[in-house]
Amino acid sequence: MTALLEVQGIGRTFGATRAVDNVSVAVQPGEVLGLIGPNGAGKSTLFNLIAGVMPPTSGKIILDGVGVTGWKPHVMAKAGVARTFQIPKPYRQLSVIENVMINAFLRDGSIAGAREIANRTLIDLELAPYRDKPAGELTVGLLKRLEVARALAMQPKLVLFDEIMAGLTPTEVGEMTSIVAGLPARGVTVIWVEHVLYAIMKTATRMIVINRGKLIAEGAPAAVAADSAVIKAYLGEEMQLA
Amino acid sequence: MSTIVQLIVSGILIGSIYALMSIGLTLIFGVLRIVNFAHGEFLMIAMYGAWAFSRLLGLNPYFAIVAIVPAMFLFGALVYRLIVSSALGKPHLVVVFATMALSIFLQNVALMLMTADLRDVPPIIARSLTVGPIFVRGELLIGFAVTLLCTIGLRWLIKRTFLGKAIRATVQDGEAAMLMGIAVPRIFLITFAAGSALVGLAACIMVPLFSVFPTVGLNFVLIAFVIVVLGGMGSIEGALLGGVCVGVVQSVSAYYVAPAYGQLFFFLLFLLVMIFRPNGLLGQKGAAMLGMNE
Amino acid sequence: MTTTAAKAGGLPDIPIIPRRGCISWFEIALLAGCVVWVGFGLAPALQDVVVLAFLFAGLALAWNIAGGCAGLISFGHAAFFGIGAYTSTILLINYNVTPWLGIFVGAAGAAIAGAVLSLICARLKGPFFILSTLAFAEVVRIVALNWSAVTGGAEGLSIAPVPNFANMVLSSKVNYEALMLAYLGLAYATMRWIEASRFGFYLFAIRDNEDAAAAAGINPLLVRSAAMALSAALTGVGGTLFAQYFLYLDPTYVISPELSFQLALLPAVGGLGTVVGPILGSFLITPLSELLRASLGNSAAGLHLVIYSAALIVVMLYFPAGIAGALDRLKSRRRQP
Repeated sequence: MTALLEVQGIGRTFGATRAVDNVSVAVQPGEVLGLIGPNGAGKSTLFNLIAGVMPPTSGKIILDGVGVTGWKPHVMAKAGVARTFQIPKPYRQLSVIENVMINAFLRDGSIAGAREIANRTLIDLELAPYRDKPAGELTVGLLKRLEVARALAMQPKLVLFDEIMAGLTPTEVGEMTSIVAGLPARGVTVIWVEHVLYAIMKTATRMIVINRGKLIAEGAPAAVAADSAVIKAYLGEEMQLA
Repeated sequence: MSTIVQLIVSGILIGSIYALMSIGLTLIFGVLRIVNFAHGEFLMIAMYGAWAFSRLLGLNPYFAIVAIVPAMFLFGALVYRLIVSSALGKPHLVVVFATMALSIFLQNVALMLMTADLRDVPPIIARSLTVGPIFVRGELLIGFAVTLLCTIGLRWLIKRTFLGKAIRATVQDGEAAMLMGIAVPRIFLITFAAGSALVGLAACIMVPLFSVFPTVGLNFVLIAFVIVVLGGMGSIEGALLGGVCVGVVQSVSAYYVAPAYGQLFFFLLFLLVMIFRPNGLLGQKGAAMLGMNE
Repeated sequence: MTTTAAKAGGLPDIPIIPRRGCISWFEIALLAGCVVWVGFGLAPALQDVVVLAFLFAGLALAWNIAGGCAGLISFGHAAFFGIGAYTSTILLINYNVTPWLGIFVGAAGAAIAGAVLSLICARLKGPFFILSTLAFAEVVRIVALNWSAVTGGAEGLSIAPVPNFANMVLSSKVNYEALMLAYLGLAYATMRWIEASRFGFYLFAIRDNEDAAAAAGINPLLVRSAAMALSAALTGVGGTLFAQYFLYLDPTYVISPELSFQLALLPAVGGLGTVVGPILGSFLITPLSELLRASLGNSAAGLHLVIYSAALIVVMLYFPAGIAGALDRLKSRRRQP
């Protein structure tokens, strides 16, 4: 099976720092790939490289067989890659549904059509009650859900989730987890950076671990959790999972 | 050959004086993240002040530094209190418009009080100095020296004193600085006032070289903007470098092309820098990206 | 949620107070009022002011497309105004091209300049962007001032004040009022179209969060350039109309930082990004500044500007959302039980 996304020997240097160092990974369609690692490990940088926010200083990115290295974010979006932002970036002066419509336009250029798609997405993510509220008035938890709604409204092939669980209550985490778990069935592949480990451990089909810019482990969640290199990277001692 | 050397030397000297008047602007931007569009008018009223001081007391304007610098410090503090501090919390547009309106206000107050007549101070140093085949006006050399001293002094202040550290902390992370007990609003006030005081210093140096009239600020503020952006917003050394660049470009192009086009060239220079190095020649990375969206 | 005029059956759900996305009774009344004013030739003594008020309302709406909707705050729009004005005038004077055609050439020229400016500023935001627009306008002004062979330099260009409809020199002030009102209508219609279209959504997205917009598949450079070009073109049209009214062009006013400031100020005071805001801004400020200039301009040089600018500072500090914002607050207060 050809990989949906292939990252080959990718690296990104800032001055003297190697934020991402020779990472290679292949993501199969229908996977939920978890990406974890301690703070400052380079996860966000890797994320931004895939999303096209900055070009890698070395290596290649291949999406569905097409080389996309150095493609800008809006081009990646049109190619079917959606992403959420760790710190939500809503359009504050627009309403919630308008926020989602902007992404929906990628699939349907008409206002009515985009509104349809946006409406359905809001219902799926239980944001419908806030439909006409200005996005600037939403709480952080709702804004994070809005991020997910916007990404999904694009009906992407691949979605990149950036710490979507941070700051959510346990109930909200549970709800969000089921949404993510349901995505492969809808034909969406997921790459997911997360710190809230118990959520990602349950849902991911495969995990990779980044430390100091390098890939240090790869495999099924349970195996990765037991990997001594991973435990050492995080805490230097036994890592406890909820 | 000696013409071009003469032009370059004059350019460097005048450029250093342009830099002196721009340091206040870059300091204010570096710390408060706002551009004071009334900067030219601060210079203008300080120049009037220096001229008046010099006329009333019969002394040369360099002595006016003693009076003008503190006066401008107080003036800056006043403007900060009345206008800038309430504008800070609001969309960036407000500060832009408020300072632009202030600029028009000051220009016209000056027009009403002083009329449009040019005011001059008699030359202080009778003869130019000569270094080999190069002529150098004494006032320019003094300006150059003052600028260097000022830059060194500011560097020392920023790197070695507690106030300097507080300022640097505020620049890096205002919220964290507040949590550490640094009174960030007071830092803003001090920086704005200090920036204005620096303009006062520049004014005293410039009065022997330029005539004063109500709209003189307009000529200089655009030069100051170009310098600050060239050198990188917030970089004092950058302002010096930027000033020298502008001075040389203006000096050379005014001679070889035409005086009117002298201004054109450094605007083009500015736009070129904006296209290729939006952070300026020495500036902080990402300074150009400081947006209005956050 | 909206305060609607409740009438017996059939009347569409039109709100009274302006809101985004649909027309309001306020606007209908305002525009109808203008048509009546012009149609009946009211207040002949104020005709100069009315002409300017309509013109600047259109110009304010034009600026608003870039500044209010797309978040591209420009203090250099006088450059586009000047390009429009000079292009049509040069075509008229030197090549006998009627301004009715020249206006399109001027608009096209301004649009190209707008796109160029956008490219120059592609990586800039905030104060850097504003300063670049200033520098750009200054470059255009200096060129216009010195390229005397084409632009007449400091002496400027004059159009013969002989009424001739074919050459857009109108015979009476009322006719000019009508012309400017038509321009205002065009600008208004453009804004309404933008609000109702996908393009408008893209503009607001770029304004509110450019990173998110890019992640949504929107090409920031393309949208910025389109917004700036459209804004510039519409401003250029206003420039031509001004030239045909004033019959004299000189770079010290036509491409000045003062004019650029005015073009940005009116929408800001009226309410950025709204349709009604720029119109209200112009209707309020243009007569006020003319009145101040007329009554005080002679007594003490500069007094009228002292008062004007001081008032501006106060308005900016206490009404940052402009008049439209104040109206909006009024609306939310009425909504509360």
